[in-house]
Amino acid sequence: MTPSAYSVIETRNLTKTYGAVRALDGLSLTIPQGGVYGVLGPNGAGKSTLFRILLGLIRPSEGEATVMGGAIGTVSATRRMGSMIETPRFPPFMTARQVLVWLSTAHGLKADDARTSGWLDRVGLTEAADRKVRGFSVGMLQRLGVAAALMTEPELVILDEPTSGMDPPGIQEMRALIRSLAERDGITVILASHQLLEVQRVCDRVAILNRGRLVREGSVSDLTSTGERLRLSVKPVAKVLEILGGKGVAEGSAVLAAIPRTEGPALLRALIEQGVDIDEARWVGADLESVFMTETGTVQMPEDVQQEARHAG
Amino acid sequence: MLADAILSEAYRFARNRMAVFWTVLFVPILFLVFGTLVALFTKARMAEIASQMPQVDLDVGGPVNLGLSLVKSAADFANPIVLLFVLIGVATLYAGDYRWETWRLTSARNTRANLLLGKVGVVKVVILLALAVWLIGGLAGDVIKAAMLARPVTFSMDGGDAAQFLGFSVLMWLRVIQFTMIGLLAAVVTRSLLAALFVPLVVAIGQFFLMQALPILGLEPGDWLSQLMLPGLAADTLKALIEGGPTGASIPDGVGIKAVVSLVVWTVGPLAASIALFQRQDLSKE
Repeated sequence: MTPSAYSVIETRNLTKTYGAVRALDGLSLTIPQGGVYGVLGPNGAGKSTLFRILLGLIRPSEGEATVMGGAIGTVSATRRMGSMIETPRFPPFMTARQVLVWLSTAHGLKADDARTSGWLDRVGLTEAADRKVRGFSVGMLQRLGVAAALMTEPELVILDEPTSGMDPPGIQEMRALIRSLAERDGITVILASHQLLEVQRVCDRVAILNRGRLVREGSVSDLTSTGERLRLSVKPVAKVLEILGGKGVAEGSAVLAAIPRTEGPALLRALIEQGVDIDEARWVGADLESVFMTETGTVQMPEDVQQEARHAG
Repeated sequence: MLADAILSEAYRFARNRMAVFWTVLFVPILFLVFGTLVALFTKARMAEIASQMPQVDLDVGGPVNLGLSLVKSAADFANPIVLLFVLIGVATLYAGDYRWETWRLTSARNTRANLLLGKVGVVKVVILLALAVWLIGGLAGDVIKAAMLARPVTFSMDGGDAAQFLGFSVLMWLRVIQFTMIGLLAAVVTRSLLAALFVPLVVAIGQFFLMQALPILGLEPGDWLSQLMLPGLAADTLKALIEGGPTGASIPDGVGIKAVVSLVVWTVGPLAASIALFQRQDLSKE
């Protein structure tokens, strides 16, 4: 399902302070209905604080937020959401099946063995369904947490690091499940993950938070295309850098040219006219990781590339 | 919505077999075993005395009236040992969501007031169940004792006995609930299971010493302050009134009302404070 024009979450100037620490600092964000929306940020960026406010677990210090049109913290809003915040924990004396029945009952649903079994199967816990939770690995707890978040058929689900502690096949299964939630079930999924490749593969749109503030927001394709550069394997490198002015950076025996795609042919003609030997020329896109690193200040990209990315974003 | 909270808490508590055992079954079983051992010892001692002094006619007592046995068991329910073990199970119910970090799973599904009231609802039923098992255990103990000592068993309960049985049952049920309310407040304030268990016990011990200190403080047991300050004293007052006879008659007029007010204040007060605090509590760690 592609994102629609309706928003499921809107925050305005949302702020949360813990003493002198501003976990969220005037965050204004609109999350559209449908699709998978990624919320990215380094540790301490404010992702979990944002989720906890949306779920009514904590109150904001300032600002407002609505969830599907309802005020945050109201049960009418939170009952339409499912969530898994960090590694979930459950009463250790219960089995996976009992956990789901318990939470269904808490939600006002009648115990339905077919539904319970269906969700346990969908998250890959069929064989462990009647085992006590106290013996579960982190990955199994994550799977059960996802089932607990989804079994009440919410319209919106928040998954915070859903693949944490999972093995690679488990991560693949979870990725497929998340996409199917959006595409098959029509659920809006909000996903936080440190695995940026996973986010890039799964999410339609992302917001990047840093120090409690929104630093970038947009579709994954827009964000990654704005960092696109022309990689030229050329001789001599110095001459090409001179021709490009400030738009080129050396990368070994190659040059990365930060120019729009439309200027590519003209540049190549100019280089040939100037007697430059071109072994190879290809466009390389910026992946989400490089965008994330740039926006959160982890590494520096050339200033003009950053500026261009901001204008395009 | 409240019904959902009660049902889900009941479902979860029923799966916590250890908590159910300690709360409902352990003390009656303990008393039954201990009572049986005492009866065995008594029987053996009597046989020994009879063999040494055959001329002595050992009176083993008259028939065992199970009706009066029920009344006595009901009056003895809220004893320190029952309180301790009921509190063990109740503490897991009140503080379990802090301990297992499961508030985040349930708080999105119901109002916070309902979530706490759901726990209180289950606790009330669990204490009623504990009372029922306690009464059954008492009956079983008396039947076993009677069989061992070759005493006949009867059952008679007149209107007065039935009223006493009902009065003691309700009073002792409320008395234990009142203690668990202190446990609830302790759980919400401290988010700790141990606090939910030990704070009510500390309050009980404190009350015991304070009751001894009333004369030093220049207070009479029938004073408003004494009754309000000491719910244990208030419960004793009501127990004496239910018991009637010379003990009940010694209670001055109007003290019963003070005792009822004390019982209500000590039950509703901690519950209201718990809900008020829980409504605004930061549950980010739970």
